[in-house]
Amino acid sequence: MDALQLELAKLRRDANLSQSIQDVDNIIAQLENARESIVSDRNSTSITLAKLQNPLKSGFDKVNDDLKKIHKGHSNYGKALDKHFPVKALPTEYDALASHPSLINRAIAMHFLREGQFQVATTFLDEALDNPPQPVPTPGTPNPSASESEDFTSLNVEELQAKFANMYEVLRELKNRNLHPAIEWARINSHELEKRGSNLEYELNQLQFVWLFQGPQVNGLPDDANNGVGGALRYARENFGSFQGRFQRHIQQLATGMAFKSNLKDSPYQRIFNTETVWDDVSASFTREFCTLMGRSADSPLYTAATAGVIALPTLIKLASIVKEKRTEWTTQNELPVEIPLPRSMIFHPIFVCPVSKEQTTEENPPMMMPCGHVIAKESLNRLGLRVGRFKCPYCPNESQPKDARELIM
Amino acid sequence: MADHITSKLNPDSNLLLDQPLLRLPFELLRKNFKVAHFHVEKESTAVKSTLRDTANASLNSHASPDDVLKNVDSMLARMRGLKRKLEACAEEEARLQQQSQSRVRHLGELYSMQSLDDVKYERWSRTRLDRLLVDYLLRNGYKDSATALAKEKGINDLVDVETFIQMSRIRESLRNGRVTEALAWCNENKKDLRRMESNLEFMLRFQQYVELVRTQDQSKLLESITHAKKYLTPFKDSYPREVQQACGLLAFPPGTQARPYNDLYSQTRWNTLANLFMETHNSLLALPSVPLLHIALSAGLSALKTPSCHSSHISSISSISPTSSSSITTSVCPICSTELNSLARNVPYAHHTKSHVESDLVLLPNGCVYGRERLEEYSKRAGLDDNVVKDLRSGETFSIDDLKKVYIS
Repeated sequence: MDALQLELAKLRRDANLSQSIQDVDNIIAQLENARESIVSDRNSTSITLAKLQNPLKSGFDKVNDDLKKIHKGHSNYGKALDKHFPVKALPTEYDALASHPSLINRAIAMHFLREGQFQVATTFLDEALDNPPQPVPTPGTPNPSASESEDFTSLNVEELQAKFANMYEVLRELKNRNLHPAIEWARINSHELEKRGSNLEYELNQLQFVWLFQGPQVNGLPDDANNGVGGALRYARENFGSFQGRFQRHIQQLATGMAFKSNLKDSPYQRIFNTETVWDDVSASFTREFCTLMGRSADSPLYTAATAGVIALPTLIKLASIVKEKRTEWTTQNELPVEIPLPRSMIFHPIFVCPVSKEQTTEENPPMMMPCGHVIAKESLNRLGLRVGRFKCPYCPNESQPKDARELIM
Repeated sequence: MADHITSKLNPDSNLLLDQPLLRLPFELLRKNFKVAHFHVEKESTAVKSTLRDTANASLNSHASPDDVLKNVDSMLARMRGLKRKLEACAEEEARLQQQSQSRVRHLGELYSMQSLDDVKYERWSRTRLDRLLVDYLLRNGYKDSATALAKEKGINDLVDVETFIQMSRIRESLRNGRVTEALAWCNENKKDLRRMESNLEFMLRFQQYVELVRTQDQSKLLESITHAKKYLTPFKDSYPREVQQACGLLAFPPGTQARPYNDLYSQTRWNTLANLFMETHNSLLALPSVPLLHIALSAGLSALKTPSCHSSHISSISSISPTSSSSITTSVCPICSTELNSLARNVPYAHHTKSHVESDLVLLPNGCVYGRERLEEYSKRAGLDDNVVKDLRSGETFSIDDLKKVYIS
């Protein structure tokens, strides 16, 4: 890119029209001069005109020369572009999405809403409803149905928007170091959160305790009975009751930590009372819990999928070129023929690949554990036990029967 | 760990989708230059010949000084007009160069990042998604949304709103049965279209002819014949079938059942023309034929999809990521999320040759499998005794003695 930047700078410096405009200006000046001398001395008309011809011609030559320079600059830049940013064909023949434009629109609308871009979302919904997209048949779905547009209208925009607006409101308050809306939300959803094994409600309360404990100098709240050590203690008495069972240890630590107030930095409880990074963590886990309770992933799926797509593209392009040579069609199978390297954060499900068949297990072909604790796919298991009934585990000397194996839920 | 988990960032291959970002302003720059060149050529020939003629006339005393002055004035007017046009071109040129500059810088940022887990990469990638979205919106003619998004995100220099708005205007006019705008565009890009051997102009002229015949009005029919003579028959070598059909069409009034003439009268041809125009426009400006978002999503959905994403099993709803061992709670997989779930139904799922599961798996008596560490952490947080564990999904509790170790090879 640096090389390209240099080329571009060169282009901007050398190849622009300002010189040509200057040349045209010169010609205009010559014409004006000629006009003046004709007006002032009518007898000199022919001689002036005759004298004008050559300068004018060379003036135009100059314009053309300068234009040529621009042309040369362009072709140089074009070459640099080819060299440093070569054109690579994109796989456009297969487009699994073209037959579902309304589903894409729906995904985009939800993306805008979840990103808090309500203005854009509203504009988009208006435009998309006025002007519904037309499905294009693809190999995967030869007969796209028009009824899909119902999906789009069934999207409950107001409700979604209200929910996400609520989420952004809470997040904004968190940024302003106000925990109350978040705690309120966590209390309402306390049951679901606990079922998920999330400690969010307690974490928020603990943070509130610590925040109050730090006193008016740090939290900037009014210095009254509800702030400082006394305020924190009072808050704990009022709110920590329901946490005593699950978080007894944590609460004990908080209580003990209070004794170290004068020199918390050197106390073993320093970690709990340090709020520097906690706010960001709490915001992140609030976002995650909020989205999960709505059945959404914490990050915009559109973002994750598009990023994964960009990472996957080089592999897929290579694959497409091989497939083209061999004249086979990979999209007809329901699994990609190559492995795509993805970063860790993009693996969301546990994946079990049967060590015998080397296939991923599915609902129809679940992982089975033999009595020895080793796991293979159900199909492999049945194949192994097909003739003999009893068979040896592929990984250890243990022998068992297919019926002894247990299905696993990953 | 297996080599298919990677966080290495390869900027060159990460920029595959971003080719139009630099190509388009370059193509526009060239087009702009051609326009400027055309103006210079035209005016210089005109001015030079006027000057020569005037000089000769004046020399032979055919022209009075007043006539000469009139001619000089007209030359001056031409040159001033030329200057104005060049200045407009220069302005456009400066804008395009500035745009290229911002884009090169934007792309260059990627080269300073080392890893896909880099925070900077996430920000960059989000901007890319916004760019892809704007591209998608513009291609579908949702120009207000596109403008609003570009403005809100401050990425005006990175998206090509103008180009696409112009394109969708012409496309709309074609869908509404008007060829004027499209023909004007053809005229603007005549040379390039000829080089590409595009059939767009011919097809537009053909449609004009069909419309003339459709009226079945005597004078219009005569006009259709002149039209055909002027615009269609000269191309009978390139498009023999179409020219023959055009001639035959005169014998079949609209409403005919005879093929292919009923097809020629069909209104869907306007849509075909609109699509043909879009195709031609995009290939002329080196733009991909489908929205970039489609390309990215098709690839991304496949790469992320697993067999469990569309299973009816409970595990698909609250599955546990094998990699996020740090946090006990999990986030929903993007493919399982409502946004993309039905979209992903038709794409193939990703191929894996190695298992990705948590380490130290144990089996609960109910058949569920979890990582031991996660299970113990969860149970501890739930306030259970040390020798009891709780199923993360169903909430059942089991004695720790009933756990069975699972070996994943």
